Amino acid sequence: MRIMADSYARRSRSSDSYFRRNKDFQTSLNGAGLYQNPVISSNVVHVLVSLLGILSLCAGQLPTYNRLLMSLIEIKNLAKTYRVYQKKEGLGASLRGLFHREYREVQAVRGINLRVEQGEFVAFLGPNGAGKTTTLKLLSGVINPTEGSATVMGHIPWKRENPYRRRFALVMGQKNQLWWDLPAQESFRLHQQIYCVEPARFQRTLDELSELLDVGNLMKQPVRELSLGERMKMELIAALLHSPEVLFLDEPTIGLDVVAQHKIQQFLKFYQEKRKITILLTSHYMKDVAALCKRVVVINQGQIQYDGSLTGIVDQFSGHKIVTLQFGKDDSISGLERFGEVLEIQPPKAKIRIERTRVAKNLATILSDHSIEDVVVEDPPLEQVIAEVFAQVGGHEDQDNPDEHSRVMD
Amino acid sequence: MTTAKRAPYLQVFKTFLRNSLVREMTFRSNFVIQCISSLSWTVMNLGFYLLIFSHADQIGPDTGWGKYEFFVFLSTTMFINTFVQAFFMPNAQEFSELIRRGNLDFALLKPIDTQFLISLSKVEWSACANFMAAGVLFIFSVWQLMARPENPLSLSWFAIVLYLFYLACGVVILYSLMISLAATSIWLGRNQSLYNFWFYITNFARYPMEIYQQGWGLPLWFLFTFIVPVLVVVNVPARLMAQPVAETSPSTTFLAVFAVVATVGSFVASRWIFTRALLSYRSASS
Repeated sequence: MRIMADSYARRSRSSDSYFRRNKDFQTSLNGAGLYQNPVISSNVVHVLVSLLGILSLCAGQLPTYNRLLMSLIEIKNLAKTYRVYQKKEGLGASLRGLFHREYREVQAVRGINLRVEQGEFVAFLGPNGAGKTTTLKLLSGVINPTEGSATVMGHIPWKRENPYRRRFALVMGQKNQLWWDLPAQESFRLHQQIYCVEPARFQRTLDELSELLDVGNLMKQPVRELSLGERMKMELIAALLHSPEVLFLDEPTIGLDVVAQHKIQQFLKFYQEKRKITILLTSHYMKDVAALCKRVVVINQGQIQYDGSLTGIVDQFSGHKIVTLQFGKDDSISGLERFGEVLEIQPPKAKIRIERTRVAKNLATILSDHSIEDVVVEDPPLEQVIAEVFAQVGGHEDQDNPDEHSRVMD
Repeated sequence: MTTAKRAPYLQVFKTFLRNSLVREMTFRSNFVIQCISSLSWTVMNLGFYLLIFSHADQIGPDTGWGKYEFFVFLSTTMFINTFVQAFFMPNAQEFSELIRRGNLDFALLKPIDTQFLISLSKVEWSACANFMAAGVLFIFSVWQLMARPENPLSLSWFAIVLYLFYLACGVVILYSLMISLAATSIWLGRNQSLYNFWFYITNFARYPMEIYQQGWGLPLWFLFTFIVPVLVVVNVPARLMAQPVAETSPSTTFLAVFAVVATVGSFVASRWIFTRALLSYRSASS
């Protein structure tokens, strides 16, 4: 019974997104505006769609049923390989390279499997060159995969069909799409026409977005005169003017100061919660990820190494705890090496890294041997754990099977 | 299901025109300098041909290209060139950069034809100066031909429509060549020979084809008429306008029909090359 209820819930949830393809319906949803609570309308959708699902089941329409069961984003064994010209050092080698070239295969993405449901906010974490951006580019249809398949809202991205391109957006922190010499306003108008957004809806959306991001007074200023943070806000507005259902963000806060980063985080959080859109984000700033995403996918060397919650990374990958001890005035701080790695000693305090399984036993021994005034037991900093994961995985990467490491969360 | 919405191409194009104008007006001095420099080039060119016609009455015996006939030819060249330079040159030039820096990504995301978007998004308004100069030269030369005592030119509406039609064909042929060449930069990673190539091509295209039709010029004539049909571009409209007597001659009729075939062929080929090239787009690193 429980399984049935579960599959029913999942079916109705994903078919919600399927149903949204209906133009009239989409318009009425968007017409509900940013500030209106979408829960009411989505409840109505759930009922309608559940009815539809049951009806289609009764009629034995298997294809429709399959479609209803699909996740919003489905990626299967996706791989992308580049052939790179292997340039050698020196003039002689360069000249030889004119006639005989050696190529190296770079596997940017090697067999990624992932499912994302409607309304999720997922972060891709990974070092530079891990394949995060390549994955986003594949999902936006900018490049073609070497192998594997992917669907986003039922579309194959690299077919570049207009109905798909009207429903998603990609923002890249390092590239800009606004006309450099013109005020952002002019680029927005162009987007309105290209995406066929009705003038009234366009104005409403633009007003809402510029108010949320607090850039109303910058609309008439040429983009080249804006600061990096202001430009990024404009890029976000440009990407959201057509109310995309799926948003791909590639390092949207790169190079921004803390205030601007925070502002963009707040905006994204608010916008995602109100509109219930699906967002895939890559970022190097752990703060972005911690503030925004419940689900984290760690990608390294083109493979998924972890899929789950942010705090889960520490549980899974760090076998240690950091124990800070404050010793009594007369106590001598010595012999701590036998409990674990001593990180620092600043009398009367000492920091030790202790294996997770031995924390309780070691602490008991320490407490009985020394006069301790205070004890703090904590997880190692997240960024450190992640850095270790990247380094660790990089080392024995080649023998690994991607499936062993990926844990698909359902 | 959703009824298919089509992006309003004309409206988008108008916005391209508008945005480009706004941009050019932002850099006023640059605009004025560009106008002046291209106008002076035109004037020098004209002076050069005036000098040549002070030595000879016409280009080769019995070709029919006298001074004013040739000036009609020259203004036709200018019309077509300025058109291509205004609409396609800045975009073709930028296309190579878009690929090298990976900014083509954004064009590929838009729910609109990618070739349309990258071919027309920037317009060089300063080409207008040359266009007007060409207009003056054209009207003056045609008027001279109409006013001359022997064998005056009679201009019909049909001739004007035909002339405009072949001007458009010429622009399409040159555009197709240019965009095909620009598209190769997807495969090559970088293609900086665009301007050079454009210079070579237009250099061949800007003379009457009779020049090539003898001796060792014949292979050139064949190459640039039937393989890379740039000789057709100016020759067909200019000949129809300046030498209407030859209108009925079989060779002119053949060329006129061939020009249409060449136009359609070039455009289809360029579209094919462009689409093929896009499949190989790799997108530069973020």
